[in-house]
Amino acid sequence: MKKILIIEDEEILLDLLQNKLIQEGYEILVARDGEEGLQMMREAKPDLILLDIIMPKLDGFEVMEEMNKDKKLKSIPLIVISNSGQPVEIDRAEKLGAKDWLIKTEFDPQEVIDKTIKQIGK
Amino acid sequence: MTEETKEFKSGRDALMNILEDVENARDRAEEEKNKTLAIITNFTDGLLFFDKEHFLVLFNPQAERFFNVVHKDVVGLSISALSEVSSLQSLIKILGPDYIKNISRKELTLKENLVLEVSTVSIIREKEEIGALVILHDITREKRIEKMKTEFVTIAAHQLRTPLSAIKWTLKMFLAGDLGKIGKEQEEFLRKTYQSNERMISLVNDLLNVTRIEEGRYVYKPTLVNFEDLVSSVIEFFKEKTKRKKLKIRFKKPKEKIPKIKIDAEKMQIAIQNLFDNAISYTPPGGEIIASLSHNKKEVKFSIKDNGIGISENQKKRIFNKFFRAPDAVKTRTEGSGLGLFIVKNIIEAHKGKVWFESEKDKGSEFSFSLPMRGLPLK
Repeated sequence: MKKILIIEDEEILLDLLQNKLIQEGYEILVARDGEEGLQMMREAKPDLILLDIIMPKLDGFEVMEEMNKDKKLKSIPLIVISNSGQPVEIDRAEKLGAKDWLIKTEFDPQEVIDKTIKQIGK
Repeated sequence: MTEETKEFKSGRDALMNILEDVENARDRAEEEKNKTLAIITNFTDGLLFFDKEHFLVLFNPQAERFFNVVHKDVVGLSISALSEVSSLQSLIKILGPDYIKNISRKELTLKENLVLEVSTVSIIREKEEIGALVILHDITREKRIEKMKTEFVTIAAHQLRTPLSAIKWTLKMFLAGDLGKIGKEQEEFLRKTYQSNERMISLVNDLLNVTRIEEGRYVYKPTLVNFEDLVSSVIEFFKEKTKRKKLKIRFKKPKEKIPKIKIDAEKMQIAIQNLFDNAISYTPPGGEIIASLSHNKKEVKFSIKDNGIGISENQKKRIFNKFFRAPDAVKTRTEGSGLGLFIVKNIIEAHKGKVWFESEKDKGSEFSFSLPMRGLPLK
């Protein structure tokens, strides 16, 4: 079973994402801030990471910067969950290595599945 | 006393009188001058006066404070010599370099906590220009308030997005059956709630777009875009809505294929969507909307015509203003932020295009814009 790590501090969004992805047959790990997220990806080596940007302790950009320092972490595909969907935010995420992004207010549960499958398959 | 002496005495008296009158006049003139000087000295705006040879002849205390320069060091210098004075360089750059340009309310940021608005006025006496007055108005406070207002809207809008997203996600998953089976009636309510939430999201997005426009952060990302496809996708987007309202939409496509142009596709889509949304919202059921697209070597032109409620003559001037909603529009449809056309205008103008409209009350409106074929420069 493929493992997905969701790093998101908003409880309800976390629940919904988790629910949807479990239904699709993925194994889900969750972290509620950037620091916890980094620690978990080091330990559990997920196949995909869904990463929020605005978070306590370390924000999404800082998490990506940390990941870039580590070869193993750098190679894990990552989808950013953007709050604003601003081009500046998405550009920065892409430069830091994000493979794709979801915009919170435009999100559709199916979109998460489609984008997940595109990265790591079923 | 001889006749001669008498004459001499009266002549002397007359002369004394004249001298006295002259002295009085001089005193009065002096007093007037002092008054004028006092006004200039105590004026809360910075004032500079250049004579017609472009030499600085007046530099009031407020201007001294703004630039941290003593008037003695600068009065008497020509405008080109002033550009050598380091603290005045930024001002002279706006005014000069050789003569005082006509300027109206141009912003000049001197320091982080000092923003001035610069205006110039030609001073004319008896049809002859005698020089130019430069007025420096301190707008630091206004700028700070404006910034605070923008920041407030940004924070408020961002904070609203997270709960709105949570509501959207939850409803969407209910509707998709991901959270268990729901009945027909429940589904109907959830669908309506979902639509209300979508309206709220679009309002928050509008507010954020406006603050980004005002902060100059509305990033334009030009790519090569097929304009016809873009319009078609917007029509497709509104298909449901037009069907529900029993509106006919026609799209008059150009005879020849339009070459791709360099535009910000996302922003242009927002602009076209806003125009369609207005046409759909303000046209009664059964009405017709005609979109047309044409081009020549220089530009591409898009128009959208409806037979809706139209715009009253006295409202036309304000139609592109931020937060403006025409009273007839409010009566037809209570929801609406008054931001749509403001955003459209900004998007089109950022693409170096023009936007205009023709409208008649109760007959309908036609909104059009044109964009240069050369498009935006690729970054």
